[in-house]
Amino acid sequence: MDDSMTQSPTKSAHGGHVSTGPDQASGEKQTQKALYITIFLVLGFLTLLEVFVPSVYSAEYSGNTKMLILCFLAILKASLVAMFFMHLDHEKKWVRWIACMPIYMGVAVILIMLESIYR
Amino acid sequence: MSDTNAATIDHADLPSDDPHFGKATGGKIAMWMFIAQDGMSFGGLLFAYGVLRGTANDWPVPAEILGIPLTAFATFLLICSSLTMVFAVLAAKEKRQADLCKWLGATIVGGLAFLGIQAYEYTHLAHAGIGFTHSAVDGVPINSLFGTTFYAVTGFHGLHVLSGVIYLTCILKGAMAGKYTQGGLSFSPVELVGLFWHFVDLVWILVFTFIYLL
Repeated sequence: MDDSMTQSPTKSAHGGHVSTGPDQASGEKQTQKALYITIFLVLGFLTLLEVFVPSVYSAEYSGNTKMLILCFLAILKASLVAMFFMHLDHEKKWVRWIACMPIYMGVAVILIMLESIYR
Repeated sequence: MSDTNAATIDHADLPSDDPHFGKATGGKIAMWMFIAQDGMSFGGLLFAYGVLRGTANDWPVPAEILGIPLTAFATFLLICSSLTMVFAVLAAKEKRQADLCKWLGATIVGGLAFLGIQAYEYTHLAHAGIGFTHSAVDGVPINSLFGTTFYAVTGFHGLHVLSGVIYLTCILKGAMAGKYTQGGLSFSPVELVGLFWHFVDLVWILVFTFIYLL
């Protein structure tokens, strides 16, 4: 949520105040593509991990552990998509606040789940 | 808005810095507001699902009824289509029309494949006895809300994928006419459809966990 993020050196070209030569622009393009591919690979790996978690932690013996791990993985994956594919890392805080609005529904769901666990 | 390809963008056409929204265009702010309210719609559905499942005495284990490997593959397909979508936005910013059309086409194919898998899954489940208002496994009735919530949540998401495919097809038509590769902010519609498509992917990540895996 820090506005200063938008002022970092890698983002300064956004405002057009820093001149970028062809080599630098080409290098930035490659970096951007590499970042996208890295996020893609991480998402694929985490999906694979999600599929194997239920078989490791069966519902009868460690339902809570399974649920916490799966929720953590899902939120991590969703955050990666929002930050890097939807470019929230480049947005100012008001856009981020708009994006964060549905989170309170998630909090409500978590409360319901916790209630069902500890009832 | 990604700025790493700023050297290829005509900055004279970009909006000036806003203290709160930076260089986000009106279209982008509107899309984010739509995404936020749509996210709350999904949140409401998942909330209801959590309440119904949490208070039920006889909720079946989803993994024993639903096909996890096939759905995991469908999840991976959507992630692949998100990658092709960001490449499409990059291509539009860099005025590479042929690449833009190629990546948009690949994204559409990914969405259609996802819908195909969902259609196959629905058909299979319906034949196995999982209906919208009545569900049974091997002829033995189970909590009917299992099928109701499953079809409501995944169906609502499926409609989003279908909308996204139609939206992408409209954008592809414009891309083929060269509308989004003229420099300046002409790439903006591609970025907006990208936001919607990534949102559809993001929601599925959560639906896959809550409806299928837990």
